[in-house]
Amino acid sequence: MIKIFLNELRRIFSDSGVLIFFIVVPLLYPALYSWLYNNEVVREVPTVVVDDSKSSLSRELIRRLNATPDLNVAAYEENIDEARQHIMRQEARGIVYIPSSFAADIHSHRQTTVSLYVDMSSMLYYKSLLTSLTNVTLDMGSDISVAMLNSQTAREEQIAASPLSYEAVPMFNPGGGYGCFLIPAVLMLVIHQTLILGIGLASGTAREKNSGRKLVLREDAPFGIARIILGKTLCYFMVYFVMACYITMAIPRIFNFIQLADFWQIIAILVPFMLATIFFALALSCLMQQREHVMLIIIFTSVPLLFISGIPWPVSSLGASFKAISYIFPSTFGINAFVKVNSMGASLGDIVFELRALWIQAAVYFLLALYVWKPKRWTQE
Amino acid sequence: MSNKRFIQSLFRVMKREVDSLVHAPIYWFSMIVFPLFVIFFFSELMNEGLPTDMPVGVVDLDNSTTSRKLLRNYDAFQQSHIVAHYSDVNQARRAMQKCEIYAFMYIPQNMERDLLASRQPKISFYYNNSVLLAGSLIYKEMRAISTLGAASVGSAKLQAKGLTQRQIKSVLQPIATDVHAIDNPMLNYNIALSTTIIPACLALFVLLVTAYSLGIELKKNRAKTWMTMAENKVMIALAGKFIPQTVIFTLVVWFYQYWLFVHLDFPHNCNFLLIMIVGLTLVVAAQCFAIFVFSLLPTLRMSMSICALWGVLSFSISGFTYPVTSMSPSLQILSNLFPMRHYYMIYQMNILHGYSLHYSWMYIVALLMFMMLPLFMLSRLKKIFYKYVYLP
Repeated sequence: MIKIFLNELRRIFSDSGVLIFFIVVPLLYPALYSWLYNNEVVREVPTVVVDDSKSSLSRELIRRLNATPDLNVAAYEENIDEARQHIMRQEARGIVYIPSSFAADIHSHRQTTVSLYVDMSSMLYYKSLLTSLTNVTLDMGSDISVAMLNSQTAREEQIAASPLSYEAVPMFNPGGGYGCFLIPAVLMLVIHQTLILGIGLASGTAREKNSGRKLVLREDAPFGIARIILGKTLCYFMVYFVMACYITMAIPRIFNFIQLADFWQIIAILVPFMLATIFFALALSCLMQQREHVMLIIIFTSVPLLFISGIPWPVSSLGASFKAISYIFPSTFGINAFVKVNSMGASLGDIVFELRALWIQAAVYFLLALYVWKPKRWTQE
Repeated sequence: MSNKRFIQSLFRVMKREVDSLVHAPIYWFSMIVFPLFVIFFFSELMNEGLPTDMPVGVVDLDNSTTSRKLLRNYDAFQQSHIVAHYSDVNQARRAMQKCEIYAFMYIPQNMERDLLASRQPKISFYYNNSVLLAGSLIYKEMRAISTLGAASVGSAKLQAKGLTQRQIKSVLQPIATDVHAIDNPMLNYNIALSTTIIPACLALFVLLVTAYSLGIELKKNRAKTWMTMAENKVMIALAGKFIPQTVIFTLVVWFYQYWLFVHLDFPHNCNFLLIMIVGLTLVVAAQCFAIFVFSLLPTLRMSMSICALWGVLSFSISGFTYPVTSMSPSLQILSNLFPMRHYYMIYQMNILHGYSLHYSWMYIVALLMFMMLPLFMLSRLKKIFYKYVYLP
């Protein structure tokens, strides 16, 4: 087993293709990804204002809109058509239209309507503009109704305008940051995908070099398949453990993402996750006739795997068949376990289901790898 | 070389390429099977458009007629579905950490009594922002239901004071908003994501297959016979090799466009011919980019690795989800090096919104420039095909 381990180690470090996926990609890709999303939220979305009211009230509304962090008044136009030009030239993402009756309506106690037109090229523009406008109109509205009611005390006015108040508490990602939401899932996926790619390349190479396109050489045979697989696993595990620690512990710290898990919790997830992934990759490598095939087969699965993990798209809205597919891959449970512990502060007791699933996967894929790696001819002899 | 010989050798190379495509199963998979899988996968995954009936919990300490009515009305909302009642906040929080629920509403003790006595009780909602989409959609509905709840209580009281319906409306919400989401009024996520993620996946296949099919010639030592067939003209060799692939990929892209814009009737404000041309442009630009990468790094593994990096980064740096304008300035410049970024801009400006082409000319020129890249590399490619020896 030790011999297999050393051989594999030597092979990894002499193969630049494998090194790319074991060292270079895991080092660079998470950092690059985190950099992309490091601004987290969409601020100061440029917006055109069409103010037909031209009253002190409408100017007050515009002033308050401009004061919000998410909206920036980029231009004023006389009508909607001219405002649309700004959107077509990609200089603005939305139009706020204040009707000519705005001030008159408010003064004569009629409900007035402000319109918002949003360019739907990104949902996040929509979210920013809608939140800003809703907050400002509700705020200004309650000021107006307080003035309107002529009640006895200020408190009474306030209660008449909103008898039931509410507070909203965003949990685990209070800023609503895009990076804090997506990156933890992506980090685990990077570990999953690069491990499979690296192992696939290594076994594809072995198959190309060995006589008869076999995964295992005859002279290794006396060791027994189980020992060959465990030896290789030990080697991949040791090399990759360092990378996985860098990805799950250093990257969130460098880029200031939420990190609630402590060292041992992360280890408790990483060990079954990596074992399951390595055995899964070894079992898959029977499909790779050429070393480069693994890239054609594995790389495109990254985005579908991310989607069925339940982080970008809620798991409650995944169809049964998608859920069934997601249970095949270690990434699903790895991502969920990591996000729950790391972003939501769950304890290991809360993720028993995921951990158990990962250990079961590790066992199943180990047996599958044993079966797949066993050359046909031996059984005949 | 005469025209006739030119065409003959072109056809010879094309025939050779078709033979090798047909006989290697990996091409069947990565040019047809996987792309079709991706098309159906994403358009089916989000076919609801917006997630519905997401599980939420309730901590109702009041347990009065008013609170139960509020919750009943809330449960009728489309995107939330009350699955559990908890006796305290801690229990609800733990359920949230296990992702059994995405949010919970907390109704304090004596809410009804305080409401009747004008003591302005406060209800709270806690929502999970680590699952951003679920969190923000549920937040919107919870806010809507509490505004409605407040309105029904408020209007009863104001009616008692003798205000008319119109006055009540103006007291409760003096300024209403009226939101128009241009060209995607239902905020359909399928429209936002399938139209961008699927072509990015298809472009990824184009990049990888192009690099793979070039590299495999060197690896299998077939580059010299290939060049001889093409009468030593790199242009003919490349054209003959890639025209069959262009045809297959373009048909796949056109099928995707038919499936989304015609079969599923996704919004598009231009004629279908333009959509098809944009699809063809994406395929050719991606092919030419991959040829360019290969000529810089003429090994199978390096060119495929770079193409993979480019293809996978496209998903983020093109700005489908998190807009490029909110990234750091250096990344905004970098995004121009990705063919997918330009495709996305053309898609959203000309296809989705139907603006005229002169607003997006820069992106069209950029895609054309990607197509010219291999032209600068012809002599280098020739040298590579003749001299290079594959080292595993």
